[in-house]
Amino acid sequence: MADLGGVRAETILMANTQIGNRPWGSFRAKFILVVGGAVLFDLLISGGLALWNVQRLSRDATEEVGHGLEQASLDYIRTYANSTAAQVSLLLGQVNNDVGVLAGVLQEQIDNPKGQAEIGSAISGISPGSVGLSFNPAGQWAQNAPGSPSVVSAWGYLLDKDHSPRTDVQTEIRASAVLDLIAPSLLKNGSSKLQMYFIGPKDRPIFRTAPYTEQAQTFDRLYPGHNDANFWDFFFPGLYEAWQGWAVGRGSRPVPNEITQTAPYTDAITGKQIVSFFHPLWSADRKSVAGTAGADITLDQLAGIVENVKVADSGFGFLAMSDGNVIAISKEGERTIGLRSASGGQGTGVTGLERSLRDSSQPAIAQLASNHDDGIRHLLLDQNGEPVPFMVIMKELPPVNLWEPGKVRQDAMSLGIVVPEREIYASLFAAQTKIFDATNRIVVYQVLAILLSLMIVTMAVLAVSKRITGGISALAGAARRIQAQDYSVRVPVSSRDEVGEASEAFNRMAEQISYHTDNLEQLVEERTVEIEGAKEEISALNALLERENRRLGTELAVAERIQMMVLPLASELAASKDLEIAAYMSAADEVGGDYYDVLEADGRFKIGIGDVTGHGLESGVLMLMVQSVARALQEAGTTDPVKFLVDLNSALFKNIVRTRIDKHLTLAFLDYDGSDMLISGQHEEVIVVRANGNLERIATMDLGLPIGLESDISPFVGTRKVPLAKDDIIILHTDGVTEAENEKGELFGIDRLCQEAVRLHLQSADLIVAGIIDKLMAYIGPHKIHDDITLLVLRHR
Amino acid sequence: MEIRYENFRIWTEDETVFFDGVLRLAGPEAYAPIYSLALAALHENNERVIFDLTGLEFLNSSGINLLAKLTIEARTLAVVRLVVKGTARYPWQSKSLPNLKKLYPQLDLQLA
Repeated sequence: MADLGGVRAETILMANTQIGNRPWGSFRAKFILVVGGAVLFDLLISGGLALWNVQRLSRDATEEVGHGLEQASLDYIRTYANSTAAQVSLLLGQVNNDVGVLAGVLQEQIDNPKGQAEIGSAISGISPGSVGLSFNPAGQWAQNAPGSPSVVSAWGYLLDKDHSPRTDVQTEIRASAVLDLIAPSLLKNGSSKLQMYFIGPKDRPIFRTAPYTEQAQTFDRLYPGHNDANFWDFFFPGLYEAWQGWAVGRGSRPVPNEITQTAPYTDAITGKQIVSFFHPLWSADRKSVAGTAGADITLDQLAGIVENVKVADSGFGFLAMSDGNVIAISKEGERTIGLRSASGGQGTGVTGLERSLRDSSQPAIAQLASNHDDGIRHLLLDQNGEPVPFMVIMKELPPVNLWEPGKVRQDAMSLGIVVPEREIYASLFAAQTKIFDATNRIVVYQVLAILLSLMIVTMAVLAVSKRITGGISALAGAARRIQAQDYSVRVPVSSRDEVGEASEAFNRMAEQISYHTDNLEQLVEERTVEIEGAKEEISALNALLERENRRLGTELAVAERIQMMVLPLASELAASKDLEIAAYMSAADEVGGDYYDVLEADGRFKIGIGDVTGHGLESGVLMLMVQSVARALQEAGTTDPVKFLVDLNSALFKNIVRTRIDKHLTLAFLDYDGSDMLISGQHEEVIVVRANGNLERIATMDLGLPIGLESDISPFVGTRKVPLAKDDIIILHTDGVTEAENEKGELFGIDRLCQEAVRLHLQSADLIVAGIIDKLMAYIGPHKIHDDITLLVLRHR
Repeated sequence: MEIRYENFRIWTEDETVFFDGVLRLAGPEAYAPIYSLALAALHENNERVIFDLTGLEFLNSSGINLLAKLTIEARTLAVVRLVVKGTARYPWQSKSLPNLKKLYPQLDLQLA
């Protein structure tokens, strides 16, 4: 087990190295890719869905909140505008009421002349300063002295020669003294009024005003020439006539209300911008105008209400006449909506302020002048060169009768409230920002959560994959080591799954391979020793063989030498005058024992042909012996072919026994006596081709027995006579010719030899030999020549 | 017993010695094992020995010398009847086998 620990460490190291070599190809990498990819896909899908939902939720919430907040803001502004309008109306209503009260009292005086006179007398008694006028020579008018609750002025054209008011004028003065009773308390209570006054009818337009001011002096200063014209015509042209029209039914009140209002103008007495409210008085019969009761309020009061409008940070209000003239607005507001002041007084009568929306530098506001219906408008106002969205709420006040020089018409003031949308929607924007922030936070957390999960999963996958694929990597590493012929490797079995099973199987296989390999090595070792032994033996044998070969080679060389030495010389072949002899002999690779001879003695020719069995030196020696014996017998004059052969055999047999040459030979002789050819001895067939081309094959089987087998062959030896004529040819051969093989192992054969002999028989002996040998060699081709080839051709000259 | 080389095979079945293929061995020494085999057949069988040469395509002169020696050996044993089965299909057989009959007239030569 200690060993196995070492192997395990090494194996794991190797597996790691291998993974390092192919980081993306390993099983582990694939495993990590697949599992990691699946987890990543899952996380991305779920995370993406969550993010998408959060975004949608955020969008919906923003929309919902925005909608709600916008509605609330609009409602608020609308309500604000309504309440501001109500405040303005309330102020105006109070002034109307005060004027109405004063008018009611004065009308009562007119309707009741008796009471009027009494009240007048009573007031004159109590307060003579109120009715006693003194002439002012500088102004050419009369006015009571200071100290009374009210000031009353009688213009020059109302005085008689002694500069005292005319009688009817004085009556009017006295009657108007009732103002002293009511006006001070009306001025003190109710809404803040600048002054209250009474103006007489057109034929005696005295002017009594409470409180006391130096009004005639002020008139002189502000309106020079007023003392020369009728008061009404000078200050309010057309107003009196309009009222007169109402009285006689020539015209109706534009608004069913007695009160007639002026546009703002500069007050002659106080010099302030004021608005006057008139309540005409009627004669008792209601047929004509009997003067008017009036009250002035300064614009400051209206402006105060409007300027108090405070919507969001910089929202403001304004009050505009129907012609677009803005009569109340803060300085800040004036700048925002681009109003420009122009000096009024272009027409007749009291002069006022001209500050119209129409002349605004902001086109959107100028447009508002011609269309100031109630409602909310969204305008773009230029602020320091940049268009800024504003919200403008217009609210029309109840209509009134408005005098303008020459006529009285209906008019309604409009209240406007201007707020930058940015401020209105500030809370909306804040809410949206909060939602946006919250959404972003959620998104960030979600992304972080995904990344964290991914990290954890990646680490887990890495850890698990190492465990799961470790076994397979170890197996792969071990397999490679086995491939590298390290059979000692074993794989640690760390799990009980398929990998564990494979590891166990692998270890068993490795064990077996190791066992077999070890045994094989031992076997190889043994065999190697054996082979080495055999090799030495073979070397020794080789050396022996070499020596033997050398010996045999020498023997063969000697044998070949002997064979060639023994053959007849060319001169011997040509010695016969009757026979043309040609011979061919070719020794095989290993010299055979072919023999041929031409022996001549006393004119007798003996032609021999034979074939010693076997090859080598012994064959050569045997042939030499045959030749020697044959020569000896020929020389000894043995003319009987049978005796010749029997003696030769006898001599050879004895020598074969002595020399223990385990061989014999076929041998035949042809004896030529000048006319016939006598064949004796056993050898191959003798072929005879006559001059006319006839072929004769002469078997020699029965003419003898192989030489050297039997001591006495006389019972077997015979002769055969073949007559020979001119141009007949005889062919002798050894079995080397007929048994020569071609590439297919087929023999040349006696028939082919005969064909060639017949084909060539007319030619010279040499040419016949050459032709047959050519044919034979062509037949053999590159095939091995097994035996000596000997061919003899005899031709009768 | 059997002697087998790439192009010939010689074996015995009972009293018959079969020769098959092409025999072109170098000399008496090379033929010695075959000689021993055939000689053993001659000595072991009392009545008859058959040399079946019908499958022997070629036999060189050394081989014919061997057959001659075996025939002479059979002749000396006398009691054994030697039968040689041959075929005229192969030229060497009709050329050489009759000599065996001459050496040992009692030899039963069957040339088919």
